[in-house]
Amino acid sequence: MENFKKEKGVQLLRAIEQVCSKDIKLMEVCGTHTVSIFRHGLRSVIPENIHMLSGPGCPVCVTDQGDIDAALEVASRENTIIATYGDMLRVPGSETSLATMKARGSDIRIITSAHQCIDIAGKNPDREIVFFAVGFETTAPATAALMIDAHERKISNLSAMALHKRTPPVLEALATDPDLEIDGFILPGHVSVILGHEPYSFLAERYKLPSCITGFEAEDILMGIYSLTRQIQRGKPKLSSVYPRAVRKEGNIKAKKLMETAFEVCDAKWRGLGIIPNSGLKLKELFSDLDSYRKFDIRTPDVKPPAGCRCGEVLSGKLIPPECPLFAKKCTPASPVGPCMVSSEGSCSAYFKYSGGGTGHWKI
Amino acid sequence: MENITLGQGSGGRLTEQLIHRITSHFSKSRTPSELEDCSFLKNGIAMTIDSFTVTPREFPGGNIGKLAVCGSTNDLAVRGVKPEFLAMSVVIEEGMDISEFDSYMESAAAICSKLDVKLSTGDTKVVPKGSLDGIFITTCAVGTSLTPFPWGMANIRTGDLVAVTTSIGQHGATIGASRFDLESATLQSDCAALWPAISEITEMKGVRCMRDCTRGGLGTVLCEWAEGTATGIEIDETKIPLTPEVNSVCDILGFDPLYLACEGCAAIVFSPEEKDRVIATMKKHDMCKDIAVIGEIVDSHEKLVGMRTDIGGMRIIDMPVSEMLPRIC
Repeated sequence: MENFKKEKGVQLLRAIEQVCSKDIKLMEVCGTHTVSIFRHGLRSVIPENIHMLSGPGCPVCVTDQGDIDAALEVASRENTIIATYGDMLRVPGSETSLATMKARGSDIRIITSAHQCIDIAGKNPDREIVFFAVGFETTAPATAALMIDAHERKISNLSAMALHKRTPPVLEALATDPDLEIDGFILPGHVSVILGHEPYSFLAERYKLPSCITGFEAEDILMGIYSLTRQIQRGKPKLSSVYPRAVRKEGNIKAKKLMETAFEVCDAKWRGLGIIPNSGLKLKELFSDLDSYRKFDIRTPDVKPPAGCRCGEVLSGKLIPPECPLFAKKCTPASPVGPCMVSSEGSCSAYFKYSGGGTGHWKI
Repeated sequence: MENITLGQGSGGRLTEQLIHRITSHFSKSRTPSELEDCSFLKNGIAMTIDSFTVTPREFPGGNIGKLAVCGSTNDLAVRGVKPEFLAMSVVIEEGMDISEFDSYMESAAAICSKLDVKLSTGDTKVVPKGSLDGIFITTCAVGTSLTPFPWGMANIRTGDLVAVTTSIGQHGATIGASRFDLESATLQSDCAALWPAISEITEMKGVRCMRDCTRGGLGTVLCEWAEGTATGIEIDETKIPLTPEVNSVCDILGFDPLYLACEGCAAIVFSPEEKDRVIATMKKHDMCKDIAVIGEIVDSHEKLVGMRTDIGGMRIIDMPVSEMLPRIC
């Protein structure tokens, strides 16, 4: 089995080399892809003329500092339990992090699925449960289902700070950025399972950009790169998919319906990228009782990222992490300045972790 | 204000910093190379101490009582020390079901009896309800070295082979699965006392050192060896024993099996000449039946661990920083 895998990898790499000899920049949009590329050691085997850039696809990394500060403020309130995904715990806000607040006595629960909030709410009837809900179209349907369920069951001590973000609008923002020269997109497999093909078709149609829906195994990623290099070489950009085993053309209709029921599209602020039109999801009026922002009058402060932190440029592929002046100096996983260094899927963290602690003395 | 966080108890880089913080108050001269699983006192007598807290307290493959004896005695065993005496302290939360408490002590006693370890001294405390989560057990184990020279990372040299004694990550995956409500009929902690297998190789001169891959897992042990000895280590992903159950828990929760805790698995370094004898001898024991050579000590990229991946790429293995948390998607 292992030999088979290795042989297939070698074949794909040879095919990529044959198809494309010019310098090209490909962006893997999803943080899971970034980590997978490092974990499989793909950077050490991909031809040198193919440059892989990490995109804004790590849910923790793109959450604006103001949104994190707002959650930290809520966590400090009496009688409140914050429920959130594990990745959010160590992300630094302006003053502190959820991990530190937990250590100081705030009640912060790590959940792996949104519906665990119902259980927490049931066990703590005299306390308010605030679900700090982040993520792309992968986690948004679960939040939607939770909200619909909580609404039907009239659960009164549960609400959500819904900060979900949409992938296609940020792709469009990248595609139209005059400072970016991306030759093709490795599209996120998990998000595509929900969205299907159609939401990405504008990339080729409007912007003549090759794109490929790609899975997360080493061979998947090599096949994605191969598909993109072929499109580039032929000068025929299109939307391809090398992940048909998981992604249907129409996506997951049930999940999309859930999102439509609970959310409406809104503008959203992305860390380092600013406000991107139509890139967010907020709870519909029907669910206003479950909207933490309305229920507790939460104000999101307008805060600047820490001095010198260039997460924004890293997230949009303009800078690779080692080019940030703070990388491996002031900003390390043990004392992160920006979220890209703390999240397991953040590109700074991945570069640090897989380059020998930022020593850079073993170039792979 | 700085506060202690859970990350500092995870076994990775933050724990290392915490340990340095502690030792700096005692002696400035303590170097990382002395930080082994147990330390030699004099005349070949060695001692170690470990505290145990685990949720859930009862898990497939063991419970906190069994864990407490296996953990400390393994810390002696991996330096070629026969465990002989045990001191145990239990701190119990008011209200614990007495039969539950008995079951942990029964399990602890069963391992002591199997290893012929004598419970020599101990202490008990009961604390008010709510001031701790059930029970904390601390064990201190003392024993005598049976090796021709002390096993430790200082013996490591270029060309030596690196092996693991069983499939990695079984304990961490079992605990992770039960904490995050994943069900698996076959997933089981590897919690076991290693001395019966190790006792048979103490005479072998080619054995350099051993570590049990507890908190922080195999990845952390390898990083500590590379950093502590200024050598490079190269391992091969396809040779690392890993069960499909552990692999799927990792897939679902976004964990890396290299960093998952083991409680009955050791990493071991020996000379190439000793390979066949070590493997054949340890393999006879059920707990080591999957023992496999996974890599070697190299004279390049000092202080760094590299892993040849299944697709033929090279990846650097870094020491984890904090506790592993389930990812978002």
